[in-house]
Amino acid sequence: MASVKIKVDGREIAVEKGTNLIEAAKNAGVAVPHFCYHPGLPVVGVCRICLCELEGRPKLVAGCATQVEEGMHVITRSAKVADARRAVMEFLLIHHPLDCPMCDKGGECTLQDYTMLMGPARSRFKFEKITWPEEDVGGKLVLNKNRCILCMRCVNLCKEVAGLDEIAVLSRGEQTYIGTVDGRKIENELAGNIADICPVGALTSKDFRFRARPWELTNVSSVCPHCSKGCNITVGYHPRRNEILRITARTNMDVNQWWICDRGRGGFHFLHDPKRLLAPARAANGTSRPVPWKQAILDIAQALRDIIVRHGARAVGVVGSGTLTNEECYLTRAVFKDGLGVSNVDFPPRPQPEVAYKKFTIEGDKDPNARGAALCGVAPGASGLGVRDMMRAAAEGTIKALVFLRGGPLDLFGDPAIVERALQKVDLLLVVDFVPSPVSDRAHWVLPGVTFAEKEGTFTNSNGRVQRIRKVLTIRGDTREDWRILQDLGQALGVLPVTDPDPERIFLRLAQAVPAFSGLSYSTVGELGAPIAAATADVAVG
Amino acid sequence: MLTATFEPVLTKTMQYPESHTLEVYRKHGGYEALAMALQKQPDEIIDMVKRSGLRGRGGAGFPTGTKWGFVPKSTDKPKYMCVNADESEPGAFKDRLICQKDPHQLLEGTLIGSYAIGANRAYIYIRGEFAHEARLLERAIEEARTAGFIGRNILGSSWSCEVTMYVGAGAYICGEETGLIESLEGKRGWPRLKPPFPAVVGLFGCPTVVNNVETLACVPHIVKLGWEWFSSIGPERNSGPKLYGLSGHVNRPGVFELPMGISLRELIDEHGGGVPGGRPVKGVIPGGASCPVLRGDEIDLPMDFDSLTRAGSLFGTGTPIVMDDTTCMVRAAWITARFFAHESCGQCTPCREGCGWMQRLLWKIETGEGEERDLDTLLSITDQIEGNTICALGDAAAWPTRGFAKKFREEFLQHITERRCPLGGGSLH
Repeated sequence: MASVKIKVDGREIAVEKGTNLIEAAKNAGVAVPHFCYHPGLPVVGVCRICLCELEGRPKLVAGCATQVEEGMHVITRSAKVADARRAVMEFLLIHHPLDCPMCDKGGECTLQDYTMLMGPARSRFKFEKITWPEEDVGGKLVLNKNRCILCMRCVNLCKEVAGLDEIAVLSRGEQTYIGTVDGRKIENELAGNIADICPVGALTSKDFRFRARPWELTNVSSVCPHCSKGCNITVGYHPRRNEILRITARTNMDVNQWWICDRGRGGFHFLHDPKRLLAPARAANGTSRPVPWKQAILDIAQALRDIIVRHGARAVGVVGSGTLTNEECYLTRAVFKDGLGVSNVDFPPRPQPEVAYKKFTIEGDKDPNARGAALCGVAPGASGLGVRDMMRAAAEGTIKALVFLRGGPLDLFGDPAIVERALQKVDLLLVVDFVPSPVSDRAHWVLPGVTFAEKEGTFTNSNGRVQRIRKVLTIRGDTREDWRILQDLGQALGVLPVTDPDPERIFLRLAQAVPAFSGLSYSTVGELGAPIAAATADVAVG
Repeated sequence: MLTATFEPVLTKTMQYPESHTLEVYRKHGGYEALAMALQKQPDEIIDMVKRSGLRGRGGAGFPTGTKWGFVPKSTDKPKYMCVNADESEPGAFKDRLICQKDPHQLLEGTLIGSYAIGANRAYIYIRGEFAHEARLLERAIEEARTAGFIGRNILGSSWSCEVTMYVGAGAYICGEETGLIESLEGKRGWPRLKPPFPAVVGLFGCPTVVNNVETLACVPHIVKLGWEWFSSIGPERNSGPKLYGLSGHVNRPGVFELPMGISLRELIDEHGGGVPGGRPVKGVIPGGASCPVLRGDEIDLPMDFDSLTRAGSLFGTGTPIVMDDTTCMVRAAWITARFFAHESCGQCTPCREGCGWMQRLLWKIETGEGEERDLDTLLSITDQIEGNTICALGDAAAWPTRGFAKKFREEFLQHITERRCPLGGGSLH
């Protein structure tokens, strides 16, 4: 695209044609304040805080709605601009309740920040303020119209990203307000983004509000584990409580732009499920007892070895998971396929209907790493069986040992009656998971793995993009990262000659073993991910 | 006196009974201009209108021919003509008269304008309160369609044009041309960010011209009598006949067709019959509520765009509101501010918040609760609104408040020091 030369406050820069003044100024290191402008939403130009001066023009222009032109000189540091900004700030605050101490947005509020930055410290407005009652507008949001500055981001998010007119601007003049029609509720699953982009405390998240002040949170970059899209997220973690309190969207133009869906946003409460599996356990005769890790690993390895010696590797079935990381999928393959010669290796897909909004699709494949699992070789080897056939074979007695790297409802793995029979019949049923499930309930051995927020690793999204997840929480109880469990098993089974101390080094091994990942490392994957090698993108490694 | 030799054209047929019918309109030469226009190239019409010096009668005074000239010639998109019949400016009731008494004159002008810009469809956006006028216009459209002035191959030419009337829901802001377009598209009547201007991206994203009723009513006469005739009337750059809507404290309020540039005092004294009881003129809002007030001693000036701008006010729609010495100027300012606060669309910050604040301050002063610093605040609010908004409503609200507060500062201060309205609220309620 053609670029134009402009000056911003005297500093000459070249920017792409079509850039607006806010973005152009940013390139020049000049921050132009803005409330209504959002790069992912249509320009509405209503807040007027971004007014800029153009040399030679008498009237100020809205920085959001004005595009650069060759030779333009944008002035943001003149008295005229300062006056206009001060004017807008004063206007925005006349009916604002100034209730920052009890407002959930406090600490991450644009209005608060700008007020601190450019005043005014006192209001000249000495009249009764217009007030509104608080309102539940659905979408897991609470609307406090008193704080609203009518930037319309919420309206435009629903309209332009979700493609639904579920929230609108109503009435006019100073009685203008944001609301739903006839008190209906917002139902689209992108509405949570409103809490992210509302520049004030008008629309806040029911799930997060009053749980913590934003400055108490440590923000960690990660990837959403709820579908194959691989949306980039920021995990808000409360270190003192060792608790995740919220998930917000992290901008990645190649994946999710500025948005995430509400399933991902709210989908972290399972981490703190009181029913989490917290210690290795051996079940026998209807009772379950904890076993120390070392003992458990050795006993399981012994049992597996015995079955292979007696019945061969064909008597073992390994059910992997598309929710495990690339590193773990690679280890699944290294231990069971390459190491033990098990060809019955597969993972069950978890499809659900795709939800396609105007500019955002919630993908139907509910595994965050199905692509990575397939690429890493979590797939049947030569004459190996798929998940359903494994269940049938186990029910018929030809498979004697089943290893589930994640449990689930019985029907995830096949006809529930067959799965039930399979689980009852096998001599060894090992389940690695972090919550109990109908499968783990029937297991001989249960090893407590961890969630996406308690380990490092990478996922490969449906588009072939490798992205990092981060360890956020301190490991709970006697749980262990799945990659560690797989390495421990591999060691005990004598099939992993070397182990690595962290997933970063496992990833390097994986990058050498699997062509699709060739050349990648955690540093090349970085914060925003990197695509797998295009030529090998669709070739699964068997 | 300018008016001695002036012959009314816009209101000429209105004196006849049933002047709103096609029959009467045609009897007096109606639709002859359309036939003449269709013999010419569209560009010739635009050129004529440019040379005539016709400036928009909706308030801004933008040269009509120039506006038409902005419509791109080479475009695959349809073009639209929009008639702004959303006359809502307090004090203005001139367009209403045309719709009522001579709707065919408007239709003929609309059709010629549509032909000139290459539009095959015109929309007449009429304010919701003009229910009677809307019915008359609707009937006029039917008549014209039946007579072959609207529809396919008009008067045997290759040009076709449909005219559709759309009744607004009663919002001043829909008289702002992009607010009108939004409303016509079925959306909230919120003005658009400009550029792009309607001539390039207008109705349904297509090139569009929005013209005031009176502006278009002038067009048939320009075609018929020539641009030279039109430009010979009135001062330079402010040519043509004009409908002045006179109201307030005058003996004969009403619409008067007179040349542009007529003296305001003459308009009030001669045509309006002076102030009742011979009372002195205290102030005149010269062109509708958004125009800054003039003091009674400032009204010896020509009523035209440039003269009023020079005088620190605005010609607006050329519809003066006269106030005698019984009028409280604070109350007048408050009533004006209340109107704009009520009509502010609420879209952009300065107008939405500033108008309501000005209204509150004015009421505070009017009721004797004001302090001197309120006057300073009031004036600074007008500065904070002016020029910082999306559309001109912000300016239109700021100007009159500033005008009243500056021109009648003494009276404002008197309210403050006496802690009451010295006129007991005055004659306005």
